[in-house]
Amino acid sequence: MSAPNGREPRIGITGIGPVTPIGVGVEPFWESLREGRSGVRPITAFDPSAMKVRIAAEVPQFEPERYMPPKAAKRMARFSQMAVAAARLALEDAALDLDRCERERIGTVINTGGGGVTTISDEADVLARRGPGRVGALFVPTMAPNMASCQVSIQFGLEGPAVTSAAACASSVYAFLEALQMLRSGEAVVVLAGGTESNISPLGIAGLANMHALSRRNDDPTRASRPFDRDRDGFVIGEGAVVCVLEPVAAARARGARVYAELLGGGRSSDAYHITAPRPDGRGAARAMRAGLTSAALEPEEVDYISAHGTGTPLNDVAETRAIKEVFGAHARNLTISSPKSMTGHLMGAAGGVSVAATALAIYHGLIPPTINLDTPDPECDLDYVPHVSRPAAIGAALVNGFGFGGQNGVVALGRNQG
Amino acid sequence: MSSLDERVIAIIAEQLRVPVEDVKPTSHLVDDLKADSLDIVDLSIALEEEFSSDGTELEISEEDAAGMQTVQDIVGYLTARGVQ
Repeated sequence: MSAPNGREPRIGITGIGPVTPIGVGVEPFWESLREGRSGVRPITAFDPSAMKVRIAAEVPQFEPERYMPPKAAKRMARFSQMAVAAARLALEDAALDLDRCERERIGTVINTGGGGVTTISDEADVLARRGPGRVGALFVPTMAPNMASCQVSIQFGLEGPAVTSAAACASSVYAFLEALQMLRSGEAVVVLAGGTESNISPLGIAGLANMHALSRRNDDPTRASRPFDRDRDGFVIGEGAVVCVLEPVAAARARGARVYAELLGGGRSSDAYHITAPRPDGRGAARAMRAGLTSAALEPEEVDYISAHGTGTPLNDVAETRAIKEVFGAHARNLTISSPKSMTGHLMGAAGGVSVAATALAIYHGLIPPTINLDTPDPECDLDYVPHVSRPAAIGAALVNGFGFGGQNGVVALGRNQG
Repeated sequence: MSSLDERVIAIIAEQLRVPVEDVKPTSHLVDDLKADSLDIVDLSIALEEEFSSDGTELEISEEDAAGMQTVQDIVGYLTARGVQ
């Protein structure tokens, strides 16, 4: 990410489209964050009784046909349906009239961790039970991960670059960084950026549960996602999509659009360490945060808030806390930090979208969403994670962390709109 | 309309996501009902699944599927294959 130099346009977030377990649309989403509501419940997508993990954060009563024609919905897996729904909500929220835009320069960057894993599982079952002649012609074009971006491009007629890349749970943080480059280079004048994930299926749950990645607090779902708490026992799998409309602040001002926050820069790094575990010393995460600060031309002391990756796994929360201390030194004690995953569960490829949207809204409203369920802080997690209740605070600048299996670290820097 | 007509029309409406009242015996799958090649393949699979359920496996070859252009064509094909 190149640093702002006065020539590159400042980029603003002008529309937010959340399709999440705690709310669909900006108002319900923000209300749940503000009130500290959990979206974790017993699994309804399938009968989970044979599973070690029987809880998840599902998007309740998601009706794709409210957002797209029925035949279009049939040709998408749920992760793409959710991406299209989120894109529609974001465009409406931005009040962007596409007919007055240069469509060839509207980009789409919607990333995902797993794409259509559930579709692959379902069609593999058809292949085994019914034979190769019965595998659907829609199998390949529905499961492919790039369909999240491509379906948004097709449904809304966006003819600029449509890109999807995978970086596990950092995927949608990476989407915002890709979008920022597209906008700063002038390749695009508007970008729809975010992430999507929907793999609450027997295959997905069984794999993650057997990795011991997931909380097994089956009898107490709303208290299962407890980042930074001493009694955390893993993350809670979530599903959903969050898409944001990004455009130059000057263009937003010219059309009278609201700017929630500015996208100041970002950084990336790799742990080069392990396929699932983060580096215990948090060094890779620290390098991504430093790169984000440099890219955004921020001094560490200018940062007020960090939206933590904060998954609630024993390893992540300690390593992330160490990384924050390494980057911010004494200022780490002044920071406010919280994890939206305590409420939304972990949307994996869409997690960065959740965090960027929540942080933009926190900056806009001057209110920091809490980390719920933080009853007894882990002694090694000794910073201010805004436990239980949201807190009014003026935020000048904030970082959003997203770290993925495989050691991919991403950071987005956001700041208050300077007008 | 025979019960076979009605079953075929119901499958077409479901597969192509069109209202059942829009599907007439003379409807052309591509021109009237906006099917594309992917739809035709999945329609043919749905027909195989529907009409294999009584113990005999119905297999529709790709060539036969490509030859079905209207609703009547499908009903005629199925009748010729002995589907009641």
